[in-house]
Amino acid sequence: MMTLRFSRALYAGEAVDEALGAFAHLVTAERSATAEAWELRLTCLYPAHTRRIVGELGNYALARTIERGGAL
Amino acid sequence: MSRIDLRQLRLDPRAPAFFRWREVGEHVVVTNLEGRYLLLSLDEFKRFAEGQVEAGSPLHQRLDEANLLRASYRVEEAAAALRRRKSFLQGGGVSLGILVVTLRCNETCVYCHASRANMEAVQTDMSLETAEKAVDLLLSTTSPSITIEFQGGEPLVNFAAVQRVIEAAKAKNQAIGKRLEFTMVTNLALMDEEKLGYLLDNHVQICTSIDGPEKLHNAQRKLPTGDAHQRAVRWIKEINHRYEAMGLDPTLYHVEALLTTTRETLPLWKEVVDTYVGLGCRALFLRPIDPFGFAERTRLRVEYPRSQYMEFYRRAVDYMIELNKQGVEILERYAAIFLTKILGGEDPNFLDLRSPAGTGIGQMAVNYDGEVFTCDEGRMLHEMGDDTFLLGHVDTHRYRELVGHETVRAAVIASNLDGQPDCTNCAYNPYCGTVPANNHKTAGSMFGRMRESAICAVHKGIQDYLFEKLATADAETRAILERWTTHRPREHFIQGL
Amino acid sequence: MHQTPHNVTAELEEGAIRLRVDREIYPLPAIYGASYVFIDRCFVFLERDGEGRVVVTLQARDPNPAEEALRALVGEFSNELLSCAWRHQITAENRHLIEAVTSQALAGAMGPPSLDDLASFDFTSDGFEDPLGIAQSWEEKHGRKNKAQEAGAAGAGEEEGGR
Repeated sequence: MMTLRFSRALYAGEAVDEALGAFAHLVTAERSATAEAWELRLTCLYPAHTRRIVGELGNYALARTIERGGAL
Repeated sequence: MSRIDLRQLRLDPRAPAFFRWREVGEHVVVTNLEGRYLLLSLDEFKRFAEGQVEAGSPLHQRLDEANLLRASYRVEEAAAALRRRKSFLQGGGVSLGILVVTLRCNETCVYCHASRANMEAVQTDMSLETAEKAVDLLLSTTSPSITIEFQGGEPLVNFAAVQRVIEAAKAKNQAIGKRLEFTMVTNLALMDEEKLGYLLDNHVQICTSIDGPEKLHNAQRKLPTGDAHQRAVRWIKEINHRYEAMGLDPTLYHVEALLTTTRETLPLWKEVVDTYVGLGCRALFLRPIDPFGFAERTRLRVEYPRSQYMEFYRRAVDYMIELNKQGVEILERYAAIFLTKILGGEDPNFLDLRSPAGTGIGQMAVNYDGEVFTCDEGRMLHEMGDDTFLLGHVDTHRYRELVGHETVRAAVIASNLDGQPDCTNCAYNPYCGTVPANNHKTAGSMFGRMRESAICAVHKGIQDYLFEKLATADAETRAILERWTTHRPREHFIQGL
Repeated sequence: MHQTPHNVTAELEEGAIRLRVDREIYPLPAIYGASYVFIDRCFVFLERDGEGRVVVTLQARDPNPAEEALRALVGEFSNELLSCAWRHQITAENRHLIEAVTSQALAGAMGPPSLDDLASFDFTSDGFEDPLGIAQSWEEKHGRKNKAQEAGAAGAGEEEGGR
């Protein structure tokens, strides 16, 4: 189990959701939100590949945020 | 190192109109928004920038004529000049359609991997159905003229697709009436009488690749028989002879040849020029090697620093100018393109050297399987596993959808030099261009970073050379450079004329 | 600590490099732009530090990267960042020129819609998808919002995040 925090000022909530959807076959996640960040408590279904899966998920969320024109 | 100390320069913002500048040799090139230029001495430049030019003086008159003075700036003249320079945008559209009719190729070239397949790979032949759909797509262009260029692989390997394209396009064009031309880029090794007869009967322009003298050509373009050069030369002579027999002017109608400049080419600048002159060519395009289509290991073997390329370029073009003085007509294509813009105020619409670039709006490439790309470089990236420039498929997408694709929009914005760091301040902005696929491959984005771009270095280097020449040229050299800007249309290759 | 100008500082950590970027000098669209260029080479994460800077973490795809390769990333990213920041400024300054040329280039190349194109056109008055913000003005897309707008946006974000 690990927690990923995506700053609300830098990531769009929809983009984080989309990333999670795209990686649903590779991770299970609990979503929560604080005033500052979108938080994902992740468990990788393939622990040996955790580093890569988390990295790709982060890239996905960032790319979708940028493609949407930013976080807000 | 600059001889102009900007800390000392007291720029008078009221005197000069908008200008960009660059030191070249003993001179300073000054260009304005619409691409007029002046070559000034350091002292003249200082007086111009500081607003110290006396009214009525010869320098004042030159500046005024070049529309470089704020007080007398002629806005309508500038607008008309800018419109003329960007005339490719008016009623534009795809005017070059590249058809990769097969990836199969009979030659193995040291610099080409991703763009070719072995001769048994028949699955990389374009089907006749796809060929017809490609014609439908390309003739849907908004451009009043369209050149369909057959490429490969080696297009003679799938001659049936070539024939189907020619027949379908000619038939379809009866009702549309575009200026339709066909060009084939072939290594000529598989040419025979029957194919040549067909190509000549159908007014197809034939281009080939010549890497320079025989030894270099055969070392870089390998046939099992080791005679790629001899075969190409034999057919070049035969085709040129046929053109003459048809009553066509040999100075205008002859096989065009393309050079791929590798590291091995650089010391052979004289031999390369002599080879082209010997083959009856009137033009030589000294293009540096592209970063596409070959493995990293190969790149290290064929690539070279751009400073070495520029030395090669200067020597070769100096030599070509000398040959012209002796009555030999040979021009360098890069120089001709830039000079047309610099001296003529027009854009010859070379798609890789304009702003915005022709990527997707001036050209498209259709792969053997019907996939459509913004340009041939984008198609080569696809063969290397990168689909950034893939727009769609002839089966499923219409012309307007492909041109309006978000990748095309991004490429148009990315190749607009008025939005490009460095280019916005560059004196050569009115004459230059950048290639999104090249930027993407080398810098990771379509915008690229010009200071680190090998293409930018080459473009600047060539324009530096040309402005040095213009600054110091005697009347004879100047006349030669002006002659290089003359465009003589080849009406014979236009279908139906 | 990697030696860089004060407006970008970089720290090496296991398999990654962290750059602290001053937003006064590099606006957020420039940071986004540079980050986007690197997502095929690295795993890129953005955070904010307590001092208004953006922390960019570039994690090598190779789990055991050479330190030299990580250091090279710092230089490469800094160059891209500078290029994006300048382009951001130029685009704002030359917006009208760029828009005029882009629309003329695309309209000229696309031509008017054919009957086939119109047949598949959505004539409803519903908003259309605009993921790249093509239809938005620069101010709408990247401009600073006033406090009331920011509060509204944060509220909307809360709801979206709670889906």
